[in-house]
Amino acid sequence: MVGTPVLLIAIPLLAAFLIPLLGMLWKELVRIIPGIVLAYMMILSASLLYYVLENGSIIEVLGGWRPPIGINLVFSPLTGFLTTIMTFLGFIVWLYSYKFKRNVDFEPAKKYFIFLMMLVAGAVGIVLTGDIFNQFVFIEIVGISAYALTAFYTGRNSAEASFKYLLMGSLSASSLLIAIAIVYSQLGTLNMAEIASTVHLMDPTFKVIAMIFFIVGIGIEAEIFPLNGWAPDAYTEAPGPIGAAFAGILVKAGIYAMVRMVFTLFDVPGAFDFLLAIGLITLIIAETAAVKQDRLKRMLAYSSIGQMGLVIVAFGIGTIEGVYAALFLMLNHAIIKPLLFLSGSYLVFNSKDKYISEVNGLGKYLPITSILFALGAFAIVGLPPFAGFWSKLSVLMAAANEGMLLIIALILMVSVVEIVYYFRVVNRIYFFEKSKDVVPHRPSFNALLSMIILGILIIVIGFYPDSVTGILHKAADDLMNTEQYINNVLSVGKSLTN
Amino acid sequence: MIYIIFLIFIGGAVTTYLVGKISSILRDIVFLSTIIVPAVLFFTEINIGQIVNISVAGLQLQWGITYFGYIFALIVTGLGVMAAIYAIPAMKGKKNLNFFYSNFIITIMAMMGILFSRDLISFFIFWEIMTWSSYLMVVYQGNDVQKIGIKYFVFSAVGAYAMLMAIVITYSLTGSMMIDSLVAAFPGFDFTLQLLIPILFLIGFGVKSAMMPLHVWAPGAYSHAPMAYTSVFSGALSKMGIYGMIIVMVSLVAYIPEGHWFREIIAWLGGITAIGGTLWAVMQDDAKKMLAYSSVAQLGYIIVGIGIGTELAMLASLFMAVMHGLFKGTLFMVVGAVEKQTGTTNFTEVTGLIRKMPWTFLAALMSIIALAGIPPLGGFVGKWMLYESLISSNHYMLVIAVFFSSTAAFLYCYKFLFGFFLGQEEKEWEHVKEAPAMMVIPMIIMAIGTFVLGTFPGLILNPIDAGMQELGFVATQGKYWEMSMLFNEWGNVILLQPILYGIMAVFVFFFVFLTIKGFKKTRYVTTKDISSSGEIPLEHENLTYSQNFFQPFYRAVEPVMKRQIDKYYDEFGRGMEAFFDFVRRIYTGNGQTYALYVVIFMVLLLIFKDFIFGL
Amino acid sequence: MKNELFEILQFGIYSASILLILIGLYAVLTKRSLIKIVIGLSIIDAGIHLLLVAIGYINMGTAPIFSPGYEDAAATMVDPVPQALVLTAIVIGFAVTAVALSLVIRLYRHHHTLEIDEIKNLKW
Repeated sequence: MVGTPVLLIAIPLLAAFLIPLLGMLWKELVRIIPGIVLAYMMILSASLLYYVLENGSIIEVLGGWRPPIGINLVFSPLTGFLTTIMTFLGFIVWLYSYKFKRNVDFEPAKKYFIFLMMLVAGAVGIVLTGDIFNQFVFIEIVGISAYALTAFYTGRNSAEASFKYLLMGSLSASSLLIAIAIVYSQLGTLNMAEIASTVHLMDPTFKVIAMIFFIVGIGIEAEIFPLNGWAPDAYTEAPGPIGAAFAGILVKAGIYAMVRMVFTLFDVPGAFDFLLAIGLITLIIAETAAVKQDRLKRMLAYSSIGQMGLVIVAFGIGTIEGVYAALFLMLNHAIIKPLLFLSGSYLVFNSKDKYISEVNGLGKYLPITSILFALGAFAIVGLPPFAGFWSKLSVLMAAANEGMLLIIALILMVSVVEIVYYFRVVNRIYFFEKSKDVVPHRPSFNALLSMIILGILIIVIGFYPDSVTGILHKAADDLMNTEQYINNVLSVGKSLTN
Repeated sequence: MIYIIFLIFIGGAVTTYLVGKISSILRDIVFLSTIIVPAVLFFTEINIGQIVNISVAGLQLQWGITYFGYIFALIVTGLGVMAAIYAIPAMKGKKNLNFFYSNFIITIMAMMGILFSRDLISFFIFWEIMTWSSYLMVVYQGNDVQKIGIKYFVFSAVGAYAMLMAIVITYSLTGSMMIDSLVAAFPGFDFTLQLLIPILFLIGFGVKSAMMPLHVWAPGAYSHAPMAYTSVFSGALSKMGIYGMIIVMVSLVAYIPEGHWFREIIAWLGGITAIGGTLWAVMQDDAKKMLAYSSVAQLGYIIVGIGIGTELAMLASLFMAVMHGLFKGTLFMVVGAVEKQTGTTNFTEVTGLIRKMPWTFLAALMSIIALAGIPPLGGFVGKWMLYESLISSNHYMLVIAVFFSSTAAFLYCYKFLFGFFLGQEEKEWEHVKEAPAMMVIPMIIMAIGTFVLGTFPGLILNPIDAGMQELGFVATQGKYWEMSMLFNEWGNVILLQPILYGIMAVFVFFFVFLTIKGFKKTRYVTTKDISSSGEIPLEHENLTYSQNFFQPFYRAVEPVMKRQIDKYYDEFGRGMEAFFDFVRRIYTGNGQTYALYVVIFMVLLLIFKDFIFGL
Repeated sequence: MKNELFEILQFGIYSASILLILIGLYAVLTKRSLIKIVIGLSIIDAGIHLLLVAIGYINMGTAPIFSPGYEDAAATMVDPVPQALVLTAIVIGFAVTAVALSLVIRLYRHHHTLEIDEIKNLKW
């Protein structure tokens, strides 16, 4: 072990604020420090995860105030797994955007990397924390970084996208705060474990109302149906690697928060069916909206929303196989969608509007990028023997075990729609003629390396899914097992008083 | 050993692609050996019943070949090797060859994988691999990819996903993925499931075997893929659908008696496919499309046999499946040869090649005779057994349907021969030479195969019999001559053959005798050296007509042809796209609207909280 | 303070905070100028902060500060936690408002209008 969980949040925040200062010494430091920090975070969380898989969760108490009064961090198989994915993705995004577009200049690079560090720190914070208000604070940190990063480029519609995001984000924050207020006024505690153990004492009406406010609050991060209006715009206007970061890091944190709330905090039985229904609606609307898009990144954004809808459906099935399937889907999505965004970003590099018709014929000019995009498309649709197949299969099996035939049919119908729009793009890349005014831009070595790493992972998981299934089973078990969570946290509190 | 075969395939696919960047001769050698070596290994080393177990992601996979799968493996490996040899000269000069060869290997591997799968998950995995690798071949030449390629993939995907749904339901009910456990547990399911699961499987298999109404992808896909691949595509890949169908129809619904409406529907679907395919084939001017529709029709015959379900019918279907692989594979190769030598496959443009491509013509002639079902070649055996089984099970209307289709098939058979080979020799095709030897040899070998199987059908019927016994039919070996009038005492030689051969021998003898005798006195004449009523045609006059070849026929069947299923699918697709366009308008682009959605959502949840959260 | 008076006051404060939230929401949803929308967001924040503080209030409670000589104040102080929460929330609200206003400036420079109806380049 090379550290404790709190370092996973503290160090990137520290680095984020030191970058401008150190940047005044030597300009390259602005780019190098995030890389070092993210690599360190990746190694730390991986080693902690390994430890936790053997020995059980680590509960870290912050500031000496024991739970349930103080804030504690919970590094369990589930949270550790998500943290590892997020830090890994953060590292890949750093690798890709080392000198991407405006990052070659000092000023923009400084701001970009500050916010990237804060984004990762905040997302990791959402996942690791055991206190709902702390979670709210981290959601806001992530939110502000996201607003800033969306508006990174001037000169196109980024400010508009960012403002819409901000508008909805503020509404969600307010809703979340109201929810926290209701919970605190009824239960007198902000600690998740304590809430979980006393929630059954809460007045049912208040419980449901609090849960509704929570859902609206967190749902905007998690991109569920009516609340995801900001998402297509934000993904389109943000820089390519940031779109990847949103898809891979941000929504995962949001869904984690939602799921933690439904599974652990509240014991409302109808919540699972609600998740199922809202996930299905999100999935169907997002995938059908993606078909007629003529902008590449917007299409990928809708596809991302749809995949998250599928994840929520899997969580909504409510059994441990469902959770396992949902986590597998999250893992695969976290690898494949960033690959699509990253390679897609080079495919429409020089265009202003990022129309899909501009990728025509680039298979010849950008061979590796195109093959990686095609690989990503094949994988996300769920074709064997690539990674996406195993996760789709587990969702269907989990649904079948509960006898949800209609849901299986709907998921499969939507998969056919997915095939249509992805393959249309892949066909354009390889079989159409490049138009004269499109100037292909070859990716730099670091960008290519980051994409190839993701591509190799897809093939490895596809051919050998057992490499990840062990971790996934433990993580799924962890989520379903509320009592263990409560015991772990509260026993630390008791032991500290002695 | 099973591992080694698949490892050779995968390694070969990757190596072919990489080696091809260095040297093309090396790549050709690697490619051929990747196809031939596993084929040889398969026939020498693999025993039926050998099983390997693999455990992946908590699921048990099991690979092994059965007697029944062995029949199809013969088709796949045989056709695969022939097509591979054919492909090397046929694809010379085209782009992206490394990709073509690796993909070819992947398709063959996927088909072998399907046959080796004893559990449903490997079956599905290999099925999907086969689907996407054939899709890549269809779009390989790059014309019309959005329409044809995506139509193919969407149909395949719908079929495959229907199958996946059935597989997943099975898993939840039986807890295991093995095909055997599905078969064993099937009678115990409740009625809706017993209806649903076979229908889902049949949709999946029906798409691949081009059963109506799921056949609309076939003409486009078959004609757009390179001919070297289409011989495998039509000859072997569609048989994978048949393989699956037979397992469903025989193992799953085995207890449904003959004459039951489920079997009748399948048989009639096959019959309609046969008629529709033949009629459409007659109308085509392009050889590729014609052969595509003809494939659909032939598969229709096979499906009729499967639907009927008696032992003789199954024998007929399986025999026809093997024969179809042989002669259709050869025919596609012929078309490919003509395309390579002349640059076009349209009947109205090319004609009169008989003297220039004699070996190609011979292969085409023998395949056409086999297709039409004329003795002494193999197609006759299959067709006869099919008729016999239809009559003996009292399906008289189907007999009429199949007979009508067979007769109409003569029309396009003749057109194929006439269009390319007979007819007047034109000046622009003077330079055409015979196709390269490596292309001709596989064609001739397969043509000889049709001949051999026509005379000694027992060669194939024995493995078919073993396969059928495994599926639960009684041994037909001992009942051949009771089953069919066709065979002699030992059940493996056609009764009529000796007579036919005798007659043919007489003709051949006289022909040779006259040729040799008159050799010095023969005079070479062109096709225009004729006179009708004393008039000799001039140089530029065209004596061949191939436009609107079957005009009267078309007028006769026009009312039937007006209804095209393809149009319905197109309309459906367009309707869906319009709906999708409507859906995306939800995201209006106005920030306040989105905020309004949030508030409305919250209010709705608050009002209906009891209903939604069930408290 | 008498209990009934306290009840009325408590009710009054709660309704005031909810009223503030509703006013802010009204502004966000119906006003067309961007600045007014941002102001609406701030009003919503103010309402929620008021709500939070009001939740923590105990009748006749004292300020939640320990000082020498008043160690037993813990028995009668108001709940300090919501006050801490509100402090944090105020800071967050301030930061978000700052980001929002800078975005409004950029939007104005780009589109030369502050009407939210006009700013619809990204749609569908």
